[in-house]
Amino acid sequence: MAQWLLVSATVLVVLGGVLGLQAVRVGHRSRWTLVCMLGAFLCQLGVLWVRGELRGKCPLGDYGEILAFLAWSLVLFYLVVGSTYRLSLLGLFTAPVVVIFQVFALAPGMLEAAPEKIHQVDAWGETHAAFSVLSYGAFALGSVAALMFLVLNKKLKDHEFGSGLFKSLPPVRSLVDSVVRLTVLGTGILTVGIFAAFMMERNDSWAHLLAAVGTWGAYLVVLVLHFWRGITPRRLSISVMSVFVLSLLVFAFV
Amino acid sequence: MDIVCVGINHHTAPVEVRERFAVSEGKLGEESVRIRELEGIEEGVVLSTCNRTEYYAAAEDCRTAREQLRRFLQIHAGDQLHAEHLYEIEGAEAARHLCRVVSGLDSMVLGETEIFGQVKKAYQTALESGSTSRTLNKLFQKAFGVGKKVRTHTGIQEGQTSVGSVAVDLAEKIFGHLRDSRVMVIGAGEMSRTTAQSLLSRGARSIFVTNRSFDRAEELAKELGGQAVRFDDWEGVLKEVDVVISSTGAPHAVMDRSHVEAVRRKRRYRPLFLIDIAVPRDIDPAVGEIEEVYLYDIDALQEIAADAKGRRSEQIAVCERIIDQELAKSGLF
Repeated sequence: MAQWLLVSATVLVVLGGVLGLQAVRVGHRSRWTLVCMLGAFLCQLGVLWVRGELRGKCPLGDYGEILAFLAWSLVLFYLVVGSTYRLSLLGLFTAPVVVIFQVFALAPGMLEAAPEKIHQVDAWGETHAAFSVLSYGAFALGSVAALMFLVLNKKLKDHEFGSGLFKSLPPVRSLVDSVVRLTVLGTGILTVGIFAAFMMERNDSWAHLLAAVGTWGAYLVVLVLHFWRGITPRRLSISVMSVFVLSLLVFAFV
Repeated sequence: MDIVCVGINHHTAPVEVRERFAVSEGKLGEESVRIRELEGIEEGVVLSTCNRTEYYAAAEDCRTAREQLRRFLQIHAGDQLHAEHLYEIEGAEAARHLCRVVSGLDSMVLGETEIFGQVKKAYQTALESGSTSRTLNKLFQKAFGVGKKVRTHTGIQEGQTSVGSVAVDLAEKIFGHLRDSRVMVIGAGEMSRTTAQSLLSRGARSIFVTNRSFDRAEELAKELGGQAVRFDDWEGVLKEVDVVISSTGAPHAVMDRSHVEAVRRKRRYRPLFLIDIAVPRDIDPAVGEIEEVYLYDIDALQEIAADAKGRRSEQIAVCERIIDQELAKSGLF
């Protein structure tokens, strides 16, 4: 059941991306991308509900669930970030990231077929896992907005305006604002996740927690630089994207 | 019933001739009624803009209607008829001409949108004054439908074709709405004034004007509702503004990299849009290498405008095909 819902979500996101791409090629915006993303979001909710019922706790017990949760949080932030961005290219740029996460989640062995049902849960542990993954949704979407800024910045600097992509990208100021907003949101949520990690019963190594604190610290440095002394939009975008990719790599090994 | 159009426009006559035929907006209805009262003419609509004055009439006999309209215009133009500047079209060609006018294909700026509203206003006025009936009503309604289709199904109104409009579009691509944007004009020339007015018309918040002659700066600042700044002090204003329009007659660069580097930190690295419309250029091209600076000189802006004009021109054949198809379907002729 969960697999089929995840397949449906993936198909809807691909469809949304293709419709968005077709619209961009002729310089229009596609409202259908939003509809597809909404449909995908409901399917993702179904996946998490089924897995949660199976486990009897927050569905973050295997890599498949973590990736599905991450894809869900990415779509969640996409849907709540604001209509200006939803109707513009953010959906188109978000779709490939969501598809990658979900395709990996669907790979054999990623979702345990019969996970063990847990009858007693550690609330702090659940909070830590859920908030940490949720923050990554915000960071991922922030990175998507940062990538959009870098594309637009290059086009403005090189005086390339003919493409539908240029016409459909939101203004520089809006993109920079959304990068900052999503990074603040992600850092705030991760703060709760890290606090919960210190409170939960620890039976694994400290490497995981250190990586989380390192990521949190790196985003905090970027935000402090931005709010305290200012940072060029290009450096802000590159920093946000770099921290996101680096932290994903670090978590893959700890 | 057949259709006749007699008129004069920017293709056929210079402004000093066109102005003799101009009809003020308040008199369009009255003028439509007057032509309907001419012998052999059953219906009439008068269209008058800065680039054209056209009389549309519905009549049983086209030849008589044309003669009547020509005579009527002779009275209008005074002692000189300017016959060589007038054009006379009838039947399907007149309908086709109206569709081209409504679609912006016959305008001085290809694809401009204002003409659609002007034709609509002229028709509405004639309708209210009772000078139209079945034939012209059907023709104008069809023309509006065709005009809408042409504009939505083709790229005839895409892009900007003037330097000022291109600059405004770019400013909006950088800052979104311009409500929070501040503008500084360096050099109080005509180009600066037009570009600054375009930015203000889209909501730019405040404007600073600087010029070697402070009197001229004050004059332009007053006209634009802004603030004059002494030429020695413009560097201090740079930290506050988002857009700079420079158009001085200086033989060397007025702004170089050091000017912007000096205020980057104070500006908190906010995007800065520099529009250099001076020749020789006022802004050293090296300024454009600064990360948050978007520098456009007159060549870059004109190239964008020329591209848009080119793209619009490429759409003419598509637009005309739509017009022909729609007129063929309409059963008017």
